[in-house]
Amino acid sequence: MRTLAILTWSAIKMFARNKQALFFTFFFPILLMTVLGLINFDKTSKIDVGLVLTGPPNQATAQFVGALKKIDFFTIHEGIETDERQALVDDKRAAVFIIPWSLIPGPSKVTVVSNVGNPQGAATALNIISGMLDKTALSITGASNFFNVINEEVNTHHLKYIDFLLPGLIALSVMQMSVFSVAFLFVNYKEKGVLKRLIATPMLPSIFVTSNVITRMIVTLLQTTLFIALGVFIFHAHVIGSYWLIFLIAVLGSIMFLGLGFTISGIASTVESVPPLANLIVFPMLFLGGTFFPVDSFPAWLGHIAKYLPLTFFSDAMRSVMTKGYTISQISNDLLWMFGWAIVMVVLANITFGFEEKRQ
Amino acid sequence: MENIIEVKNLAKKYGSFTAVDGINFSVQAGEVFGILGPNGAGKTTTLEMIEGLKPMTSGEAVLDGHNVSRETRLVKSLIGVQLQSSSFFDALNLKELLEIFASLYNRKVDAMELLREVQLDEKWKAQVKELSGGQKQRFSIAAALVNDPKVLFLDEPTTGLDPQARRNLWDLVTLINKKGKTVVLTTHYMDEAEVLCDRIAVMDHAHIVAMDTTENLLKMPGLSTIARFRVDKPLVDGARLKTLTGVTEVEHEDHTYRLTTDNSEATLADLFKFGREAGFKLLDLQLHQPTLEDVFLKLTGHALRD
Repeated sequence: MRTLAILTWSAIKMFARNKQALFFTFFFPILLMTVLGLINFDKTSKIDVGLVLTGPPNQATAQFVGALKKIDFFTIHEGIETDERQALVDDKRAAVFIIPWSLIPGPSKVTVVSNVGNPQGAATALNIISGMLDKTALSITGASNFFNVINEEVNTHHLKYIDFLLPGLIALSVMQMSVFSVAFLFVNYKEKGVLKRLIATPMLPSIFVTSNVITRMIVTLLQTTLFIALGVFIFHAHVIGSYWLIFLIAVLGSIMFLGLGFTISGIASTVESVPPLANLIVFPMLFLGGTFFPVDSFPAWLGHIAKYLPLTFFSDAMRSVMTKGYTISQISNDLLWMFGWAIVMVVLANITFGFEEKRQ
Repeated sequence: MENIIEVKNLAKKYGSFTAVDGINFSVQAGEVFGILGPNGAGKTTTLEMIEGLKPMTSGEAVLDGHNVSRETRLVKSLIGVQLQSSSFFDALNLKELLEIFASLYNRKVDAMELLREVQLDEKWKAQVKELSGGQKQRFSIAAALVNDPKVLFLDEPTTGLDPQARRNLWDLVTLINKKGKTVVLTTHYMDEAEVLCDRIAVMDHAHIVAMDTTENLLKMPGLSTIARFRVDKPLVDGARLKTLTGVTEVEHEDHTYRLTTDNSEATLADLFKFGREAGFKLLDLQLHQPTLEDVFLKLTGHALRD
């Protein structure tokens, strides 16, 4: 036990003193989160509309223009007709509203010039202004509204892209750390003869492996905690489910990918061969593992492959708990698959990885 | 004297290649035992089988009464090992490394004291990669001493070191041996074996071709001494040199002669007599005693390739 404690403590010290490992384990994911968090995928861009008033506005017209300016969807550019028409031709406006100085229902003519190159924006602008004109007409004639539309927002927890991203990013970071930190370290040890020096002592190889696994579990929990804290406090992400369950998923994911890391350590004979070998397996999962894009959005054949990848189950379980508050029984399918993958990886690691150099 | 290591019919085969072919030897407690031979002779494989690092194909090794194959972990706890290309963890300093290695033996160690013994106490904060070649080897020996071993194994400890660092390491090995530790080392340097070893096993092509004390090896019959000299005037009867007692070969260039003899004392006596009778003087007489290089050549018929 004392040996295990000292070895683990040393492994932690070595990890903490390795700048490259620290960068890829903590700073790179934070960088990624910041960049993706700053790009706001949730807000649709505003519609540029031109507004031309043909004369000094009377009270009704002023009221109408005031209401128009309050609409979030629009960025209003006021100007004279020729300028605004030119702006529309230059594709800087989706539509131009030409409003007469006296807005009286009936004889007044409001002209909407639409940009056919931006049909969506133009149609939205046209719809909104028509609706507003109808309302104005009603209020001027003193008729009461027959119907009131009450807009109720139904987006369960105001989910945003960061809520989708955060669980996937945690899973991805744990995968990268587990695979690369183990593979680089152990292949380096193997190549330089450190492992051979270690088995010249009475130490059991399993103790050394255990100390490194424990170290990476601790790092996994640190990563998870740090990214959730940043996501919640800086990017206002939502975490609904149980933190214990989140940590359990993280640890299970880590075991899965540590197994992969040791398998690669067993196969690769030089440090130089680690990146190509590891990336061959890890790189497709970066895109197909459901970190940045939902697996549902892939074409069917790709989706079939993607949904069985270890990272997909990992990020899916994370996301279900973090954004939907699922319980352990609701994610049992993901957990079972992760467990299965973990067994496969650990068995493979046991077959390929050993302390004794294998003579070719 | 008590034998601390007994090796019987030790063999290692890799497929059809035989790296060590049934060798026998024993090492006495307290001595420095050297395995001398060219690269590829099987020295390292022999050492690593005795250290419990490589499984034996056949034969056995017993260390301090324990069978290496059956009680591998116990044997590992009794020995200190320095591997040919020693390497340690990055990112930890020398003191931390020694403490970790001690923990692998379930021991505590005064790391600073041990570093002082190998003259690295001022470097305790350094990492192994910052050390020079000689310092690395000294550290590697310190790491092999953390468990106060009964036997210290050194695999080519001075290969690649500059002359000063080599002498420095020899002093260290001698010091460790004087403190009562048995040392087993491999080397392909003759001078190293001559300086350090009480007894030497000469290995070539997976076999031990000779084993004896260093002194006896050098006195091996059939080894030639070379006498080299100049004469002050041309020799009229040069052919007579060949008939001197013990002489096997005569070479000369102008006034310089080179006699190869297997009995240097008798040859010299005859040579002086010949000089008196023929009236010439011997100038710059030099005797070249046989070295382990010659022993090796004599035993194997080929030079020790480096």
